[in-house]
Amino acid sequence: MRLRHRPAAAAAALVLGLSACSEALGEEVSVLDAESITVGVKYDQPGTGLRGPDGELTGFDVDVAYYLTERLGFPADRVELVGVTSAEREDLLIGGEVDMVVATYSITQARKADVTFGGPYYVAQQDLLVRAEDTDIDDVRDLEGLRVCQGKGSNSARRITQGLGIRVEQTDAPSYGACADALREGEVDAMSTDNLILAGFLAQAPDTFRLVNNPFTEEKYGVGLPHGDVRACEAVNKAITEMYQDGTAGQLLETWFGETGLDLVTSVPQFEGCP
Amino acid sequence: MTGHPPGSPPRTGRRRFRLNSTPARVWALTMVCVVAVTGLFASAHTTLGQARTGLDVLGRDAGPRAMATTDLYLALADMDARMADVLLMGTGHDLGSGRADALDRFEASRRQANEALLHAASLTEGDSVEERTVQAVLDGMGSYERHASRARLLNDEAQAPPGRVDEEALEEYRRATQLMHTELLPKAFNLGLDSSAIVRQNHEEGQRSVAQGMLTVGAVGAATIVALVALQLYLRVRFRRRLNIPLLAATVGVLLLTVGVVITLELSNGYQRGAKEEGLDAAMALARAGAIATDMQADQSRFLGDPELADNYQQVYLERAQQVLFRPAENLDQYYAAVDEVADAYPELPGPDDPDDDDPGTLGYLGERAQGSLLPGQEDALAEVLETYERLHAADRDLRAAARDGDLAAAVETRMSVADSRDGTFPAYVAALDELIALHRTTFVDGIARGDAVLTPWRLGLPVCVLAVLALIALGVRPRLAEYR
Repeated sequence: MRLRHRPAAAAAALVLGLSACSEALGEEVSVLDAESITVGVKYDQPGTGLRGPDGELTGFDVDVAYYLTERLGFPADRVELVGVTSAEREDLLIGGEVDMVVATYSITQARKADVTFGGPYYVAQQDLLVRAEDTDIDDVRDLEGLRVCQGKGSNSARRITQGLGIRVEQTDAPSYGACADALREGEVDAMSTDNLILAGFLAQAPDTFRLVNNPFTEEKYGVGLPHGDVRACEAVNKAITEMYQDGTAGQLLETWFGETGLDLVTSVPQFEGCP
Repeated sequence: MTGHPPGSPPRTGRRRFRLNSTPARVWALTMVCVVAVTGLFASAHTTLGQARTGLDVLGRDAGPRAMATTDLYLALADMDARMADVLLMGTGHDLGSGRADALDRFEASRRQANEALLHAASLTEGDSVEERTVQAVLDGMGSYERHASRARLLNDEAQAPPGRVDEEALEEYRRATQLMHTELLPKAFNLGLDSSAIVRQNHEEGQRSVAQGMLTVGAVGAATIVALVALQLYLRVRFRRRLNIPLLAATVGVLLLTVGVVITLELSNGYQRGAKEEGLDAAMALARAGAIATDMQADQSRFLGDPELADNYQQVYLERAQQVLFRPAENLDQYYAAVDEVADAYPELPGPDDPDDDDPGTLGYLGERAQGSLLPGQEDALAEVLETYERLHAADRDLRAAARDGDLAAAVETRMSVADSRDGTFPAYVAALDELIALHRTTFVDGIARGDAVLTPWRLGLPVCVLAVLALIALGVRPRLAEYR
């Protein structure tokens, strides 16, 4: 009896050990494996992500978020959208409060240390928004000596002063919305940031503003994912490719920015790659 | 023998069917051992086979195919670069390595792009998303060539002098390069990323199944040893013998076999991982560093040839440069200084001075490679790459300074000497890079070969060992059973 039980116990121990180990050998965890997904989008930018009076979030990024999550296997009822600000996007993603960020989130080398980026899903370019009547600003060089507004924490003005060596008077407003107000009131002469964001403001007040449409830098809007989630990153890239192939991206761009006169690129951007 | 237990006297005729007779128990335990050994053979055979397949797919199938897809981007970027050079040269047919050379190389890259596309088309069969991408690039190539050759024709007809591209030709070239940069190059780049993703998925799946197989082999091996020891102990108690030498040998054989197979699998997994990460991944990242730099240096020609968009071309030059080697810099002057610093400091790498600094370090394709562990030969080769990259930017500084001072002729001359296929700074960078890529390709091929080398002996070794163990078991048990005949 003694002899018969020992192998059985040993075998049981082995089986237990085996299953514990094979779990450790499993694929790395991914936001794809969850039952539902939480996506951070902007809530204060017309055109890209804006919360309406009814509390509903709308905009290009919102539609992109729904398209991508659907392709990743999450029907709309298992997708939760959360409004996020530029300042908190990173922390929410790192802390796991959101699984994905689609919020005019530029891919930069510095951010790549903490965030894995799918995409870009669109390459916006930095441009200028001016008052409709100021017809003599055609180019960023025409800003020499003028007052330029940028959103707080943004790098846009530095790209003009440091990047291109143009001397401008720089004003920082708490948000792009505040910049747009300052521009309308004549407190500044131009506001500068990504053309998709500018086009959103232009669409709200097409008679007040004018988009210069002479872009000078590229802003790659990425899909922020938890650092190291390569599987989700690859799946997002595939979904973005399909979004352009089936014409959805073109339609969405046309819907949100078509009437602003912005030069829209409707072919798939060059991806960053999933590290 | 007088070793019958009191409760189970041997009764002829029925003893083989009842487990309470000694020979029946010996038989049963023997069968357990044989089944266990067979199971060990099966699990080892399967897992060794998986390891072999994994190496094969990476080394001879998905790996080389992924390498080939990076050629497409390079060939396309080179076509557009040569065309920009030809337009910038205008009537100065002898600038740099000359117009004929640039046109020959355009043609060579066009052929290479077509070949790479056909190759990609054969690979993407069955994946409709990728198939459509390849088709879109094929279509785009046709219209690119139409715009580009029309631009060349117009510029020739206008007898445009060096540096002053004809207005109509420029219009046409803008369409061509716009098409190249929005439609063709991104898709080509993404196809390369797709094939990297396929390699990664295959590789990780393979590594996982081998690791799981390794556990199974270990577990079955341990169970076999337990069964053999049980048989040994049973024989010892029942037959009052000392050690059963053949069974002991069989036990040791199973132990060695199990340990040997597990170590082999671990080794081959390690070689495969090394081949992928230090070989293939590194070679592909460097190939991308070459392809993007090809596009980047052509921005010099576009910058000079298209004054209206010069600011943009200067900006994209910086952006592409930062993809190749990233250091924080807001304009080209800062970037030149940063590149000098990297090349001088290597193998040390500049980074944040204190942890609160928001300097992310030395990154981009070259920077990330420099952070990895490199073999001595690779380190020297990378140092050479960084040095040629530094020289390339030194020439860029001269070129832009001349352009700023209004000396277009000197700027064009500098540009054409950068691109000179005989001794230009850009070909020197490419040559240094190719040397480094070749080293990583060797690492890749060697890793695969080493993995194969540790697996190969088991093709014959495994069945021979298993048969030997079975023979030893028979040898150990047969004399005991014979006592009951």
